[in-house]
Amino acid sequence: MKGTISKYWLCQIGGWSTYIIVYTFFYLTLRTKEQPFFFQVLFLDAIIGIAITHLMRFFIQKMGLLKLRLDYQIVYIFLTTIGFSFLFAFNSIFIEDLLQFTSEQFKQYSTLNKTLRASFGCFLFLLIWNLIYFMYHNIEKNRQEQIDKIRLEGLVKELELKTIKSHINPHFIFNALNSIRALVDENPGRARQAITELSNILRSSMQAEKLETAPLKRELDIVKDYLALEHIRFEDRLKVEYDIDEDTLDMPVPPMMLQTLVENAIKHGISHRVSGGTIKITSDFIDDRHELSVENTGYLNGNYNPEGFGLYSTQNRLMLLYGEKAHFEIKNKENNMVVATVTMPVTIF
Amino acid sequence: MSVRTIIIDDERLARNELRKLLQEFSEIEIIDEASNVDEGIEKIEQHSPDLIFLDIQMPGKTGFDLLEALDRAPKVVFTTAFDEYALKAFEVNALDYLLKPIEPRRLSDAVQKLSLEAFKENGGGAFSTLARANALLTENDQVFVKDGDRCWFVKLNEIRLFESVGNYAKVFFSTNKPLILKSLNALEDRLDDKVFFRANRKHIINMRWIEKIEPYFNGGLLLELKGGEKIEVSRRQTVKFKEMMSL
Repeated sequence: MKGTISKYWLCQIGGWSTYIIVYTFFYLTLRTKEQPFFFQVLFLDAIIGIAITHLMRFFIQKMGLLKLRLDYQIVYIFLTTIGFSFLFAFNSIFIEDLLQFTSEQFKQYSTLNKTLRASFGCFLFLLIWNLIYFMYHNIEKNRQEQIDKIRLEGLVKELELKTIKSHINPHFIFNALNSIRALVDENPGRARQAITELSNILRSSMQAEKLETAPLKRELDIVKDYLALEHIRFEDRLKVEYDIDEDTLDMPVPPMMLQTLVENAIKHGISHRVSGGTIKITSDFIDDRHELSVENTGYLNGNYNPEGFGLYSTQNRLMLLYGEKAHFEIKNKENNMVVATVTMPVTIF
Repeated sequence: MSVRTIIIDDERLARNELRKLLQEFSEIEIIDEASNVDEGIEKIEQHSPDLIFLDIQMPGKTGFDLLEALDRAPKVVFTTAFDEYALKAFEVNALDYLLKPIEPRRLSDAVQKLSLEAFKENGGGAFSTLARANALLTENDQVFVKDGDRCWFVKLNEIRLFESVGNYAKVFFSTNKPLILKSLNALEDRLDDKVFFRANRKHIINMRWIEKIEPYFNGGLLLELKGGEKIEVSRRQTVKFKEMMSL
């Protein structure tokens, strides 16, 4: 901010200049008798005013008054204004006395008396100052909050869009279509079934965008169709096991999340291995949480990318839905298995 | 007149499908198939096919790995379902590829293009059906070279120079000089010594690319290649070089 004057100082200087101008104007046009030291006192008051209000601003910032609830803010503005009015009045009287600016008329009163008299005028000025100050900051805060909210909404939308687009991997779709074409002659019945499975998956992935959560049963059906298709491709190389607690079937889960994890397990686990491997899907209640896990044969080496889309989106969607209450991790297990586990709270909100 | 072909794909159904599509082309003779890279290398070395249909994504190793492991790359048509990375490599290098499920018309284009190339190379005959697994590499043989994202099929007659860099050899052709994981000695054994000459411990040059010959210290020679590279011929090899040139 070097070279330019901040908004705050612009208002300070502008405000107090107005104060001087208005007083001078009334003094010159409406005065009945000349006041000694009028201009000296006026300038002195303006300078003390700036110093006091600047101190008051420091106080407001230090106490964090702007961060309070609005009704508290109003009470505190009032109290602060009263307090600083006395300080303002006392300082200005004290310095005026010191510099011998006080008019004869007032010399008879004690400092306390004069301070109390002056305080009322000071109170009005500081109140105006504070009203402007708080109003400005509250409006600014409001505006900032709105901008943040819009930005966040945009981010969420973008994320959703990306997640949906990546739900079904095009490599999978084309490979599946290729297998089905070969099956048409070899095993027409299986080919027909495969087309149904593929349709189900495509339909679900298109519907997923509309839902915040879906029952596990629905998600499991998609995964079963998906794995049935992958089984056509991999044949003996892919073995699938399920260990599902019946009671968890109605639990809400983020749509297509399980699908993403299973796809990852195929892509990074099974498809790399000449001899293939096993995929095991487990769903159970552990303590008061719902735990969903996907295991696959393979080894998680250090250079996997946690920012990679599948894992990244899983983590993000859980965060958006459940906040800190959900948990996701992926790690190596004994017997050359990799396990990805999602833990979700049983009751939402 | 048949093109001896091997299909390499990890999915049985995908191989079957391609086999069926290729029935339309009488010139294509499928002699074998393989379901992974190691098996593929073995079958290629065993049969020396004229052509392979090669899937990119296979368990453990990719189709590119397979090609890098071969001394002599046969004609290759890549087949892939959808793989952004591979597609980019194809576009950069204008390699021949087919997207699965394969469109019969595109397959027909690819086969036709291959026949045309063979026609040009062999002056009328189709593919040579000579088994030549251990034969020397001729000038018209191509090698597959990969350097990061970029890959090339390079005809041996386009290569000016091989330079030894540790366990690798740097291959000079056109404006590129990628590295391949082969020792100079292994290369020397496979190259035709009428064309490729071991100038010194670190270099094998293509004699057809020599621009200038100058005498050098110690009774050696300094050769300048058409690409501008200057290569010293050791004294011992100079004797051999002069012998060859005097013929």
